[in-house]
Amino acid sequence: MSTKSDTSSSTLAELSSQLAAAVATAGNSVVAIHARRRIPSSGIVWRDGVIVSASHTVRRDDEIPVTLPNGDSVVATAAGRDPATDLIALRVEGAKAHVAPRADSSSLRVGSLVLAVGRPGRNVSASFGIISAVGEGWRSWQGARIDRVFRLDLSVYDGFSGGPLVDASGAVLGLNNSALARGTPMALPAKAVDRVLDELLERGHVRRPFIGVAVQPVALSASVVKRHKLPSDPGLLIVSIADSSPADKAGLLLGDVLLEANEQALGRPDDLLDALSSVPSGGAVTLKVLRGGTIKAVSVTPADRGEGE
Amino acid sequence: MITSMLGSARGVSSNVSGLAELLRQAVVEVRSGESGSGTGIIWGGSGLVVTNAHCVRRGAPLQVDAGGKWREAHALAYHPQHDLALLAAPSVSGPMLELRDPESLRAGELVFAHGHPLGIRDALAMGVLHAVTRDRAKSPRWIVADVRLAPGNSGGPLVDAQGRLVGINSMVVNGLGVAVPASLVQRFVESALSQRAA
Repeated sequence: MSTKSDTSSSTLAELSSQLAAAVATAGNSVVAIHARRRIPSSGIVWRDGVIVSASHTVRRDDEIPVTLPNGDSVVATAAGRDPATDLIALRVEGAKAHVAPRADSSSLRVGSLVLAVGRPGRNVSASFGIISAVGEGWRSWQGARIDRVFRLDLSVYDGFSGGPLVDASGAVLGLNNSALARGTPMALPAKAVDRVLDELLERGHVRRPFIGVAVQPVALSASVVKRHKLPSDPGLLIVSIADSSPADKAGLLLGDVLLEANEQALGRPDDLLDALSSVPSGGAVTLKVLRGGTIKAVSVTPADRGEGE
Repeated sequence: MITSMLGSARGVSSNVSGLAELLRQAVVEVRSGESGSGTGIIWGGSGLVVTNAHCVRRGAPLQVDAGGKWREAHALAYHPQHDLALLAAPSVSGPMLELRDPESLRAGELVFAHGHPLGIRDALAMGVLHAVTRDRAKSPRWIVADVRLAPGNSGGPLVDAQGRLVGINSMVVNGLGVAVPASLVQRFVESALSQRAA
């Protein structure tokens, strides 16, 4: 049979076979998780005996059936969930599976070639595309601050959430999730997964310190700025305080204007969240408050919202 | 380093153009009655065209277009379960595509779909192989690919990076392209021709 396939020389065939090899490599660490109706979702063997996946795809906490890459069925238990980043950590005993090789995702740029790998059933499947945007300092709609996220120009098909985003060598760059940003294919970088996972394995949830106030930015009057020699940045006006919250107990009042937290200026509500998340567990934060034209220092011990969720 | 990366990107790109040229010569547009059109693959070098059964309206006049000329064609055989039709088109000729054994396909391999989506002539789409689904006897049933298809791609070729025929694009399910494996197409053509000879 004569053929004209020589018109496409080796470069393309080489690329194709490298992509297939990358999927095979990554597939050795991708499991199927059967914890919802319809099709199973994907998970990654992240550490020895630890699987990570997308929390929204795992609808129960115990006796979670998992199909390993070699076809074995095992049962996993949830070690913790973080609703804000939609991550879940699962523990499996004596599972024989490769821990996913990790790639350095800091070199990823818009336009880098990537593959999404999933196991929505027995077999591994893949889709292919590029990084379409890199979001810096992104805040998910559930409030988690993530230093970097990848927006993907590829299809995250049914059952792909929780699976890995891999580079051309099959090493893991991040965890794919189509629900993190309401349907837009996104990937959480491996570093962010590691950070959340550390907390989940240690205490079963991610600490999200809060003091129980709602704030909005307000401009300070010129006379106040002059009298107290303040920078002319806006402050945060307290517009509501939850009953028996840390702020309530510390004596903060409606109408107080927050200027600084631990000597960091507060210009936007995000600044307050950032300041609180850097407070060590059980520690206090010193707030500089403007009340009735005078400046006070108030010490507040944040509570942990992650607990009991 | 950057130069060599650009070089290889260019290499890939020119390879893809070569592939598009090969496929352009290997396909026809299929029109049947007043309904829309599909794509067909010239089979065995000349005289035969394989397309999807759903691209051929029974009893309606049938035409294929190769190289800008519409020619009469007629249906020789159908396989509704595999959505295949074999057409006789005596004056049509083109390169023979090598067939790719579906058993050797790997997820993540590059695949290319050629056809006339939404009436756009000779459009090429690239994607990766998603999965090969199997029937109860464990033999390949459908080729599933992460490649963007539209009406008009039906009956057109899905090929690998070396231009070998992986399957015939037949439908879109959940955004994924679904093709009939080349092995089933070959079996269909062989049995259709042997029945006619008998």
